[in-house]
Amino acid sequence: MTSGEGRDSGRELRRIVRINEEIKTVVKTAYRINLMAMNAIFLAKRAGQSALGFGVLSNELRRFATELEQQMIALGQATSGSVVTVTAMVKEAHVVRMLERARAECDGRGRDALDALLRRHRETTLTDRRDQVAALNRNLAMMIESTARLVEMGGVLARSAKIEAAYGGGFSQSLKQVSSDFEGTIGEIRKSLDSLGKFRLREFAA
Amino acid sequence: MKTMRVIYEDGGHKWHAIVRDPNRPHYLIDTNEYLVVAGDDAILVDPGGSEVFPAVFSALSTQFDPRKIGKLFASHQDPDIISSLSMWIEFNPDIKCYLSWLWSSFVPHFGGTKETFIDIPDKGMDIVVGGQRLQAIPAHYLHSSGNFHLYDPKAKILFSGDVGAALLPAGEDGMFVENFDRHIRHAEAFHRRWMGSERAKRDWCSRVSQLDIDMLCPQHGAIYRGADVKRFIDWFAHLDVGVIHG
Repeated sequence: MTSGEGRDSGRELRRIVRINEEIKTVVKTAYRINLMAMNAIFLAKRAGQSALGFGVLSNELRRFATELEQQMIALGQATSGSVVTVTAMVKEAHVVRMLERARAECDGRGRDALDALLRRHRETTLTDRRDQVAALNRNLAMMIESTARLVEMGGVLARSAKIEAAYGGGFSQSLKQVSSDFEGTIGEIRKSLDSLGKFRLREFAA
Repeated sequence: MKTMRVIYEDGGHKWHAIVRDPNRPHYLIDTNEYLVVAGDDAILVDPGGSEVFPAVFSALSTQFDPRKIGKLFASHQDPDIISSLSMWIEFNPDIKCYLSWLWSSFVPHFGGTKETFIDIPDKGMDIVVGGQRLQAIPAHYLHSSGNFHLYDPKAKILFSGDVGAALLPAGEDGMFVENFDRHIRHAEAFHRRWMGSERAKRDWCSRVSQLDIDMLCPQHGAIYRGADVKRFIDWFAHLDVGVIHG
């Protein structure tokens, strides 16, 4: 790792902070869906027989919101795990930066000793670190993919709720409004997930 | 790069002072590091902060194989003393760091494991380097609450950490004190502010007065030699410490 790569690792930490903020946004939105679904269940009960299907879908949307929240918490824990790896990289970058500075000032046996040490760093520590980063990236990608599938299902539920709203009789207008709100909110989650999906920890080259 | 100079030599027993880096950024306090060599063994005394590691390492390696440093001595826990620890461990993962027991769970934040540290008990201990027996002399509360100086009875050198330190202006930053009265003006404010305990100061003065000392080597500033050693101890004994102004 060179000192330039040290700056990269600092950037990685800032990226992790951003991803955590995105996760927090999705968790808040999931909580909002949960409340919306609860209101929708009451509304469907008031609408009676004509909104039975809407009531079932609202129940499903509540379950979806709870599951989404749990997945996002797990994703948050996984990104916290990457903070450990990136922090180790920042620390190593500092050590390497100092060794490189010493090398620039040295000659003779001091320089030879530093060359050997830097070589060893590249061959062992950095290889280990690269493997760890690759594993973290794989894990994050898998979790985001599975969350994306869940959100897709949420989108289907919201669309179905919209169709069911048409059969809501006197409550049809209110039910349509609620189902449009569901759709809009799930659209927001999709956007957040798209940006999460682009996130990859950078693999630092030696 | 810093300069490494031999200040004592008797066969394979040597004291080196690593001092003054002309390229040191002004926002970093200047520090002195000392390397004590005895035969094939060596101890680096107050190895310095991580920012000065390149300057210390390069000066040291001009005269000594850095891989042979098996021991570090840290007078206390400050970053300008020991934050380079992780770099020295890179060179020798088995390196041992002698340090007050009080800091044994604090300094590992700079690096190292349980095995890296050898706790010095409050009353001090002997540290054998090569064939030489050095003594960790208690200097608690001067200024750190767990603080040691290092005495070499054969070389008659006392490494005195922050005691004797002076913040020298450019042009008056020679390696040795040449004019005590002029020099001590640069030490006064530092000692009044940093040395917090009158009682600890009196204890220290009484303790080191009984030692045979040719050179008193602080971690900042210039080295006191000959009669200036006693002059300094007397001056310090009479100085009002633990005050902000005065």
